[in-house]
Amino acid sequence: MKGFKPSAPFLLLLPAGIVLAAVVVVPLLLSLYSSFTPFRLIKPETFYVFIGFRNYLSILANTDFWWAFGRTVLLLTIALNLEMLLGLGLAMLVEKATRGQRILRTLMMFPMMFSPILVGFQFKFMFNDNIGLINNALQSLGITQDAIPWLIEGHLAFIAISIAEIWSSTSIFAILILAGLLAMPKEPIEAARVDGCTPWQTFRYVTWPFVMPFAYIAMTIRSLDVARAYDIVKIMTDGGPAGRTELLWTLVARTAYSDGRMGMANAMAYFSILLSIAFTVYFFNKLAAARTQIGAEW
Amino acid sequence: MDENSSARLKRRLLGIVYRIGLFLAMLTICLPGLWIVISSLRPTVEIMAKPPVWIPQEISFDAYVSMFSGIGKGGIPVIEYFRNSLIISVTSTVIAVAIGMAGGYAFARYRFRGKSSVFLGLMLTRTVPGIALSLPLFFLYVRLGIIDTHFGVILAYVALNVPFTIWLIDGFFRQVPKDLAEAAQIDGCTRWQAFWQVEFPLAGPGIASAAIFAFLTCWNEFALASQLTRSVSAKTLPVGLLDYTAEFTIDWRGMCALAVVMIIPALTLTFIVQKHLVGGLTSGAVKG
Repeated sequence: MKGFKPSAPFLLLLPAGIVLAAVVVVPLLLSLYSSFTPFRLIKPETFYVFIGFRNYLSILANTDFWWAFGRTVLLLTIALNLEMLLGLGLAMLVEKATRGQRILRTLMMFPMMFSPILVGFQFKFMFNDNIGLINNALQSLGITQDAIPWLIEGHLAFIAISIAEIWSSTSIFAILILAGLLAMPKEPIEAARVDGCTPWQTFRYVTWPFVMPFAYIAMTIRSLDVARAYDIVKIMTDGGPAGRTELLWTLVARTAYSDGRMGMANAMAYFSILLSIAFTVYFFNKLAAARTQIGAEW
Repeated sequence: MDENSSARLKRRLLGIVYRIGLFLAMLTICLPGLWIVISSLRPTVEIMAKPPVWIPQEISFDAYVSMFSGIGKGGIPVIEYFRNSLIISVTSTVIAVAIGMAGGYAFARYRFRGKSSVFLGLMLTRTVPGIALSLPLFFLYVRLGIIDTHFGVILAYVALNVPFTIWLIDGFFRQVPKDLAEAAQIDGCTRWQAFWQVEFPLAGPGIASAAIFAFLTCWNEFALASQLTRSVSAKTLPVGLLDYTAEFTIDWRGMCALAVVMIIPALTLTFIVQKHLVGGLTSGAVKG
C-alpha cells in the first residue's frame, strides 16, 4: 500500500488531464501551428503552406487590431475596477441590514443567473433608441426630448456595453466580499473603535485587509471568464457601429468565420489568450500572497 | 442635551439615506429582469407604443403559446432547442463532476510536488476564451465529423467545466476534517470505503452545488456553441435566441418570452445552491 501512495494523486488527476489535453491543449497546439500558415477555410490546401511570422507581422501593422486590443483592455480595466468598487459598496450595504438580510442576499445574486447572452439581449432591449426603457424614462421625465442613440453612436455604445458588463458581474464581487465580511470576527473592529479609530481607519486597516483575499477570489473567478464580454457585445452591437465597439474577441470571430481567414484569426486568438492568461496569473499570485499573509494553509 | 438631539437627528438622517441607497441598489439589480418578464406578457402594440405605456393594460400569454406550438407558428423551434440544451447540459455536468471529484479529492487530501503549479495549470486551461478555442475545435470537429452533434458539444463542455469543478470540490473536501476518514480507516475501512461512507456524504451538498454550477455554465454558454452547432439537431437555447435577431425586425416580445424560459431553470437552481457555492469558493481563504 505504501509504494502505491505517491501515484494516487496522479491517477486521480489523470482523467482531468486527458480531457483537458484532448479538448484544450491539442487544439491549441493545432491553432498555434495554423497561425503560421495562410490557412483559409475555402482553400484547405493552404493549411500546409508555412509562412513563418507573416500573420503576426501583418497583425502588428493592423490599426483595426490595435484599436480592438486597446478597447478590450480599456473595457476590462473600467469594468473590473468599477465592479470591485460597486461590489464592495453593495456588500457593505447588505451587511448593515438588520432585517431581511436573507432576501437581500438572494436578490443580490440575481444577475449571476443571467447568461451573458441574455444580459446582452436585455440591455439591447433597454437601450433601444425607439422603444427602450431608458429612453422612454428619460423622455417621460422630461430630461430630454430626443431619442438618445445609445447603441448607434460609438462612444455611447461603448458605455452601454460597459454598463451591461458591470451589471452582470458586480454581484460576484458583492457575494464573495459579503462572505468575507460575515466571516470576519467582530472583536478587532470593536478593539479598533475603543482605541479611537475613525470609521474610515477601521475600514482601511482592519476590515479591508481581512476582506482582501475574498476580493481576489472574485477577481480570479472573473479573470477566468473575461471573454464572456464577447457574448454581450455580439448581441448588443456585433462590433458596430462601423467597428467602434469591436473587441478582440469579436474581431477574431469575424476574421475566422465571416472572412474565413483561419490562419490570421488564430494568430489574433493567441493575443487574446495571452491577455487572459496574464490577467489570471496576476490575480492568482495576488490571491496566493493574500492567503499566506493571513496565514491560511495552501 | 442639544448635542444629544442633534446626534439623534444625524443618526436618523443617515438611516434614511442608507435605506434609499439600498432600495436604489436593489432596484437597479432587479429592474432589467422584471422588465423582460413584463414585456413578455404584454401585446407587441404596447411595447412599441409612443408615448410609452408604463402600466400593462392587458396580460396575455400569447408569446409563450406561440413559442411552444412548433416551428410553423412561433418562428423558431424552441422545443428542440430546449431538448438539446437539456441533454447537453445534463450529460456534460455528470461527467465533469465525476472527473472533478477525483481531481478535487487529490488536491484536498494529498501533498505532491508542484501542487500549486498543477492547480494553476488547470485554471489556465479555463482562461482560454471560448471564441479562441472554437477556431481549432471547429476545424478538428469538421475533420472528425462531430460538428453539429451533441457529442461534440458535450466533450467541449466537459473540458470547460473540469477546472472550476475541481476548484469547488477541492474546497468542499477541505471542509471535511481529515480525522474523520482516518478514524474510519483505523476502524477497518479501506481508503475507498472511508471515502464513500464518510467523506462523500459530508461533502455531498457541496458537490451537488458544484454540479449545479457546472450545469448553469453549460446552460448559458454561447461562444463555443454558436460555432460548434449549426442546425436544429444540436443548437442550444442561447444560440437559438439569436434566431430572433437574424431578420431586420426584432420580435421583442418573442425574445423576452424565450429569455424567461431560459432564466427559470437557472433561477431555481441558483437559489438552491447559493449558500454552498460561496462556501466552496472561499474555503481556504481564511483559516477556519
